[in-house]
Amino acid sequence: MSITVIKGGGTLYERASTSFFKRVLPWFGILPFVIFVGIFLIWPSVSVFRSALQSVDGAEKPAILEAISGQYLKSILFSVRLSAITALIGMIIGTLVALAIVSLDQMRGLRNWMVGYSAVAANLGGIPLAFAFIASLGMQGLYTKILSVFGINLSAMGFKISDFSGIVLVYLYFQIPLMTLLMLPAIDGLKVTLREAAANLGASQRQYWTNIGLPLLTPSLLGGFLLLFANAFSAYATAFALSSGGTRLVSVQIRFYLQGNTITGKSNLGYALAAWMIIVMTLAMSGYLLLRRVSEKWQR
Amino acid sequence: MTKRNSWAKITLLLIGAFYALPMLAMARFSFQRMPVVKLGWSTLLDGWTIAPMVDAVTSARFLQASWLSLRLALLTVIISLAILVPTTVYVHVRLIKARAFIEFLSILPYVVPPIALVVGISGAMRSTVPGFLSNPFSLTPFYVIISLPFSFRSLDVGLSSIELKTLVEASRSLGAGWVRTVRSVILPNLRVGVINASFLTFAVVLGEFTIASLLLKFTLPAYMAEAQGNNPQGSFTVGLLLLVVSASLLGVVNRVTRKRGQEVQAIFL
Repeated sequence: MSITVIKGGGTLYERASTSFFKRVLPWFGILPFVIFVGIFLIWPSVSVFRSALQSVDGAEKPAILEAISGQYLKSILFSVRLSAITALIGMIIGTLVALAIVSLDQMRGLRNWMVGYSAVAANLGGIPLAFAFIASLGMQGLYTKILSVFGINLSAMGFKISDFSGIVLVYLYFQIPLMTLLMLPAIDGLKVTLREAAANLGASQRQYWTNIGLPLLTPSLLGGFLLLFANAFSAYATAFALSSGGTRLVSVQIRFYLQGNTITGKSNLGYALAAWMIIVMTLAMSGYLLLRRVSEKWQR
Repeated sequence: MTKRNSWAKITLLLIGAFYALPMLAMARFSFQRMPVVKLGWSTLLDGWTIAPMVDAVTSARFLQASWLSLRLALLTVIISLAILVPTTVYVHVRLIKARAFIEFLSILPYVVPPIALVVGISGAMRSTVPGFLSNPFSLTPFYVIISLPFSFRSLDVGLSSIELKTLVEASRSLGAGWVRTVRSVILPNLRVGVINASFLTFAVVLGEFTIASLLLKFTLPAYMAEAQGNNPQGSFTVGLLLLVVSASLLGVVNRVTRKRGQEVQAIFL
């Protein structure tokens, strides 16, 4: 049982109402912001799910169920697989880069340079990034040509800039620096005292990493993986420009259903695929935020 | 010791090459009129020209697209600040309880990818407010939304690092009115946050392709996608310019943040 002590004078009714207004009135100050987000973000998102729950012309199943069968499921899985692979490679290389930066800390300016460029590169993307890689490793790319001089034929090896392998490589351009930025504070958080304590107790370099370093970094690593996954999964412009709109990635496929709705009568499928994207993103981002909370405990 | 450092040096060298090489190839393609097939030691210095760039940036389509993008970016910055500055200041001074809720709303755009948002926009608004989406400036509120995670965070970090509430109370108890308090206590402390938020928002809008393209608005990235076919060199040059501009905007943000002694972080964090 809780007892509320109401200070001040007045009748009981007055006291109750002033405290009510005192508690509620200040919240009106954030109303403009909340309404803005409501109209321009929440309303469209709700509308995605509302249409996704309606059926496709001539079918009984709601579109959102139709979207997890056949070719639609394939395109969702294609996106998931591609995002997972770029996230995995990005996680490993990005962490190595962060470790390298920390171990070369005595080189002046290096850290500032790397952090500065990473912060820029992590946010590059879209059409210009696709252009840079087409000029590098496209059919007429500069490095395609240079490699062929050395007898390495990229397309014979199955590499194509507009395909799975190409998109993975291009995404790494923003995935690796993002992971580096995520891991730097975590690696800084591995206190020198821990390493010294382990060494004093006779632990080898390897024992230190397997028993102390890696377990402490695990939440950051997993969180980083999820953030990188979400980052790749939601990307659109880069893949669109690389493949001229022809890739099977679900983000690019949605465009087809949205623009072709008058012909195919399947526009609800576009909504259903968008709904699944939001679901996957929500799962990945919640996992990331949860793991970040765990890892921040160690960084204090 | 040296052995441990040599792997680190090699790692950084390789990653440096990975970061630099695509940009160099793009620059060569933009400024050298020489198909890769004919490229060799003898032709290495031939055909360098800025003509494709001049053609591109003087073309009517480019001017039309970049004029629209610039106005959209400015308008988005203004509206973002107009909504976010009062809200964040208010929350920090009067209603710190609401901060977690505002922060939650500000990271929501992450879980709705632009492509899903644009699907929802056309679903929700095509039928209810048909005239709205035909205006190119209807993109502005959605750009405010997609840059929200960055703009809110910039302002919030700026305000969290100072004891704003204490400062405001001090100013009030010394007899300053609200106008004076806002002018000489709140605004000076907001400057860095406002600069960061504006530059990040500006960079986001200049590069945004997904929403503009699906709503058939002719912005700068849409121009690049279109010109990729008929003037690839010019289009790549514009892409290079856009990279340089957005990298400079982000670079300024990094510099300003570092000056304040804060660790630079990705705008995702």
